[in-house]
Amino acid sequence: MISIDGTGWTYANAEEPSLTDVTLCVTPGEFVVLCGASGSGKSTALRLMNGLIPHFHEGTLTGAVQVDGLKTATARLDELGLRTGTVLQHPRRQFFTDSAGEEVAFALENFGYEPAVVHARVDAALTALAACLPVAARLRLLSGGQQQQVALAAASAHEPDILLLDEPSSNLDADAVQRLTASLALLKARGMTIVVAEHRLRYLRGILDRVVVMREGRTEVQWSAQQFRALPDEDLAREGLRGEARPVDLPELAAAGGSVADPATKGGPSTGALQLADIRCRLAGRTVLDLDHVAFAAGTVTAIRGANGAGKSTLARVVTGLQSCPGNVRLDGRKLSRRARQRASAIVMQDVQRQLFTDSVDAEVRLAAARNDIDVDQALRELDLTRFADRHPLSLSGGQQQRLVIAAARISRRRIVVFDEPSSGVDQRHLQSISDQIRQVAHEGAVVLLISHDEDLLALAADAQLTLRPL
Amino acid sequence: MPSRPGLDPRTKIIAVIAVSAAVMSAGGGRFIAAGLLLAVGLAVWERAWRRAVVLPLFVGASAALAFWVPLVRPHPALGAVATGSFLGLRFAVALGVGMHLIATTSPTQLSAAFRAWRIPRGITVSTSVMLRFLPLVATEATAVLDAMRLRGLTGLRAMLRHPILAIERFTVPLIASSLRVGEDLAASAMLRGLGSPHRPTSMTPPRFGGRDATFALVVAALAAGSVLLSPGPA
Repeated sequence: MISIDGTGWTYANAEEPSLTDVTLCVTPGEFVVLCGASGSGKSTALRLMNGLIPHFHEGTLTGAVQVDGLKTATARLDELGLRTGTVLQHPRRQFFTDSAGEEVAFALENFGYEPAVVHARVDAALTALAACLPVAARLRLLSGGQQQQVALAAASAHEPDILLLDEPSSNLDADAVQRLTASLALLKARGMTIVVAEHRLRYLRGILDRVVVMREGRTEVQWSAQQFRALPDEDLAREGLRGEARPVDLPELAAAGGSVADPATKGGPSTGALQLADIRCRLAGRTVLDLDHVAFAAGTVTAIRGANGAGKSTLARVVTGLQSCPGNVRLDGRKLSRRARQRASAIVMQDVQRQLFTDSVDAEVRLAAARNDIDVDQALRELDLTRFADRHPLSLSGGQQQRLVIAAARISRRRIVVFDEPSSGVDQRHLQSISDQIRQVAHEGAVVLLISHDEDLLALAADAQLTLRPL
Repeated sequence: MPSRPGLDPRTKIIAVIAVSAAVMSAGGGRFIAAGLLLAVGLAVWERAWRRAVVLPLFVGASAALAFWVPLVRPHPALGAVATGSFLGLRFAVALGVGMHLIATTSPTQLSAAFRAWRIPRGITVSTSVMLRFLPLVATEATAVLDAMRLRGLTGLRAMLRHPILAIERFTVPLIASSLRVGEDLAASAMLRGLGSPHRPTSMTPPRFGGRDATFALVVAALAAGSVLLSPGPA
């Protein structure tokens, strides 16, 4: 079904090839997991299979790739699109419409299916989706897991022979991962050939047929399903892979209010450097955050957990002064205005490219240190960024960019630091590094709030948790 | 998209063009009240309550600045403000009707409408991509501005002292993040056949119906009323 023979690929303007020697043969109906550390070439290998390489991305291709009888180098992209369905890592970025029905119909309409067929397939997809999401809701308002289900339905509506998924579990909580596993099992049972690029593997253990490990652009090791099931987590960690996700058991912060999820923890006012009282935040005519009181201690990392729509991001925006809202926010006993909260806060966004403002790493660090008495050269050395000092921040890898933004947050010496899903799509080694940096920020005395679904990260980095619930 | 059935996208496009042409033309002042009524009516129809309230307030305030203030306190500076306000309220009315089109028409519905008019595919595809991409850019711009606020880069003094630097600090991350988002969107759309040689179909082909006829009658009545009740060109 898929045949890749000694293939290499170098992106235009890249110094090093992304793929050096990929050899892979996938048989019809097989479920193959491509895994490996960040940068090993998993996502690039998927692009070989759906034809984005060489038709969408520019670069140099060597070797041959054949998909469902078509040579990808000479076939048209839409011919390959008819035979493959692709789910990207961030489903919300691939949606072309704002409703589940239209999104499922999108490929069918573009490929010229008769309206009656489109209706029938969309109706069937929506009936299946209705079990786990409100099908009439706008896509942007759905949770990450629900968006993933819609993306899966949209990618498979034209009934391709092959389904390709790029790190589908990276932004999902445990329940959503379970739903994803069930959906993939159903598609496999229908005879679809499935290739998944992933860091986390254990959730696929019941349905995968083969695991292919990639290292530095090569397909190196293969495990059969039986061999994989017998592997201990330590062996996976050596490959930079995530093992069994263990539920984290963090102490719940004492808090009260309609948004607080766990009634057992509702108690009297607690103490802490950052105190919130009588927060009632309404957006678009709806109350999205209701907190009578909660306090976050300095020097500790507090995980903010809860389902999508529970108010996690709103809480972060209120705390950092980006969202106006009735109520009191006090830091070290002093009531802070919105402006004062903005001056006291830093945030590390999921997409750190939005936070790189200057033309060099050195300038970025100097900008962050502007009002502080900091030796920037020494700070660069401490953060292991000296060798990149003259590089443009946007020319760094994703992990390096994230390190730079965290460094800027540390150097700015803000008392409140918020991390928003910092481990999306990172492997085991980078997970440890990110956790260390979050710990370091807290160790330097900041109040650290960590918004994350990633139980592996929470287990490593968080000291306590506040669980919110949708109102 | 609205939960209740709406107008054919072609009706909405024609309405936007007609209202824009009417209020922006010489002597178009006579159509402002009718255009405002239409825009507010459409906002109520789609349950966009904020727009239904804000639009008449903005137009009312602009009209006061344009017509009333110069009468009460004649002054050359206020005359310039009045001229700007008059232009602004015309734009606001046209924009009010345009916002209904944008808020209630998905990129795929717009493509289907363009195909029904036999507009070339290059225009159809690029317009629907733009319609989808612009909200993404707006989201990215909001996030970049938030990040700038927290870094203290949005202060008025800093922006006045180094305007070019301020623009650069906003646009560079905006372009970088928008390109990344746009790349995913384009890749996914092309893999799902957008712009392919296949002749596209539509799940709900555009079709003029009773609602469109009623809407046309309302527009005609408003236009006729504006002409008959107006003392002369504004």
